[in-house]
Amino acid sequence: MVVCCRLRWRRCWNDTANMNSATRLYLFNDTSARAAGAGLLADAWADRPEVQLIRLSSRGAFFLEPMVERDGLDGRVAWFNVAPEDLPSILSGTGGTPVQAIPFLANQTRYTFANFGETEPLALDEYQARGGLVGLEEAFRLTPDAIIEELRISQLRGRGGAAFPVWNKWKVAQQTKAREKFVVANADEGDAGTYCDRLILEGDPFRLLEGMLICARAIGANRAFVYCRQEYPAAAATLRAAIQKADDAELLELNGESFPIEVVEGAGSYVCGEETALLESLEGKRGVVRARPPYPAQVGLYGRPTIVSNVLTFATIPQILSRGGAWHASLGTEQSRGTIALQLGGRVKHPGLVEVPFGLSLRQILEEFGGGMAPGSRFKAVQVGGPLGSLFPSTGLDLPICYDAFAKAGAVLGHGGIVVYDHETDMVDLARHFMAFTADESCGKCTPCRIGSVRGREILERIQAGGGTIDDLALLGDLGETMKLASLCALGGRAPYPVLTAIEHFPVEFRSKLKT
Amino acid sequence: MEQGPDMHEQVEKILLQVRIDPPNILKTLLAIQESFGHVPVDAIPEIAHRVGATTAQIAGVLSYYPDLRVTVPGRHVIRVCMGESCYANGCGRVLRELQNYLRADVGETTSGGKFTLDTMSCAGNCAVSPTVLIDRDLYGRVLPSQVETMLERYR
Ligand SMILES: Cc1cc2nc3c(=O)[nH]c(=O)nc-3n(C[C@H](O)[C@H](O)[C@H](O)COP(=O)(O)O)c2cc1C
Ligand code: SF4
Ligand code: FES
Repeated sequence: MVVCCRLRWRRCWNDTANMNSATRLYLFNDTSARAAGAGLLADAWADRPEVQLIRLSSRGAFFLEPMVERDGLDGRVAWFNVAPEDLPSILSGTGGTPVQAIPFLANQTRYTFANFGETEPLALDEYQARGGLVGLEEAFRLTPDAIIEELRISQLRGRGGAAFPVWNKWKVAQQTKAREKFVVANADEGDAGTYCDRLILEGDPFRLLEGMLICARAIGANRAFVYCRQEYPAAAATLRAAIQKADDAELLELNGESFPIEVVEGAGSYVCGEETALLESLEGKRGVVRARPPYPAQVGLYGRPTIVSNVLTFATIPQILSRGGAWHASLGTEQSRGTIALQLGGRVKHPGLVEVPFGLSLRQILEEFGGGMAPGSRFKAVQVGGPLGSLFPSTGLDLPICYDAFAKAGAVLGHGGIVVYDHETDMVDLARHFMAFTADESCGKCTPCRIGSVRGREILERIQAGGGTIDDLALLGDLGETMKLASLCALGGRAPYPVLTAIEHFPVEFRSKLKT
Repeated sequence: MEQGPDMHEQVEKILLQVRIDPPNILKTLLAIQESFGHVPVDAIPEIAHRVGATTAQIAGVLSYYPDLRVTVPGRHVIRVCMGESCYANGCGRVLRELQNYLRADVGETTSGGKFTLDTMSCAGNCAVSPTVLIDRDLYGRVLPSQVETMLERYR
């Protein structure tokens, strides 16, 4: 019903536009599209009477940005890497490519990111017209137990890094008796090389809010927070505007009471993405990791039961309710159900967002979607899972992208960041870079991480300066093992992986720098 | 902003405006930094009093978060992303160019107080990297050769 009205409205709109002979041009509007030049185009064409500019959420095909689209007879037609002076050819309709014929997009399986490139981020009616809020309606029809059962069937695992079954956490929070309960969206997105949470916050914020509301309904929460990294000002602003719109539409209500959602900004600490450090930070304290158990689902924010989940996790939930848990479980592999949002970066030819079912190999992703290497670059290594993720050489690319295969290989998917390094990368410097990062970001609560990372950095600096010995490499190995085993959280526990995999796969580079 | 008796009045005013319930040290410090560009160390006792914490607790939070500053930054703050995608795409060369051009190291402010040079760990602009953030303006696909023109816009 809503869809029909919407289409009719669209058609009228086009008629009016035609009458005015202004052509509707779609330009994308997230931080990266703007950084690539979409904002410049918008400024350059703002006063042109022959164009009507519509700013939509980005498609995530950033290598094509700034990209411009217009309506064609059979879907949209796109122009890539556009400069202001390309306007005449766009208006005359020459040289465009049908969006459906862009392999990077056409070969994806977009569910969570289905609206990207299609809707205006803050248009609640457009969100609804494309199936938004159906999951929430379903949640209101179901009992809290039945919602959690649907999540159990879906086999959804958290997308923030730890991949814990979502239903399980919700069950614990639901069953813990308390005067107050909280829902917290983790929008700290600290892993360098990841940006899918930012895309959701800037491009489809109602999907996050819907997921949070469903969670609140299931566990009986009274309030919610979104902890957003300070580096994402546009995301925080869009989300605040979306919350206001949702509130105006009387969506922020549960059991007849208002359900406030507040956006809180961080202050540049990586470890504040860890759920217990995040809660400390939300309370305004130093973001130091808490010992677990108790888990936040039992004792969380201000000591109350709290669900902390990643933005992408929440954004996946509306469709699990609208399409059913079994639908979600039918995608992906045995241990990894659903789709994964991979974020390609570094020296690939086609950096951007790729949503596909779990199970494709790293090679497929890098070649079919990544398009191979950027011009002038030869492949050296790929890192999956952010700054704590392992490095793979060219011989490691047949690994399927799913939790179990990665775990077996001693690696992690983390938040889905994939960064490709080329032949110019100095592996010793890269290893030093990783250890320096850990030393900078360690919260200091436990010794293996606090002291180990500083020692690790010093050893790597020594090797880099030509003063290292073979014993230093052995020492790095021992230090790494201690950090893996004895650290309180995954920052210290995972930090050795990129360093040790660099040494494992590129031993000659390290050896050649040693003192003879 | 100048640090003097005025500063204390200002701080007092902000503290009254941002009455946060329950009291929250980080939010309070961020609100003060928003107005002053930094958190004046002299203001710690007043802040402690207002949020019902000890001065040690305030100082602890202040030193913990990389984004909280106790010194006055330059008129413009340049932050070069050092995240892995930017690393792979040559942020090191961009940073070196900036260091040479500004004659300032990371964490330093140029003489005259125009620019402060800093690094950050990821701006989420990894697909359009390397990334440089100047105040609130974000630049992508930055080449070392573009540094000079990029800075010309800032007075
Ligand atoms: C050092 C460290 C940093 C983390 N950073 C993030 C982050 O930025 N975003 C995130 O969602 N989870 C992060 N996590 C994982 C969280 O602790 C937590 O597992 C997650 O937010 C739970 O949500 P999920 O179940 O939806 O994955 C981090 C963990 C560690 C150890
Ligand atoms: S491993 Fe590092 S970051 Fe994690 S709790 Fe220990 S010191 Fe803190
Ligand atoms: S790594 Fe630099 S923007 Fe993400």
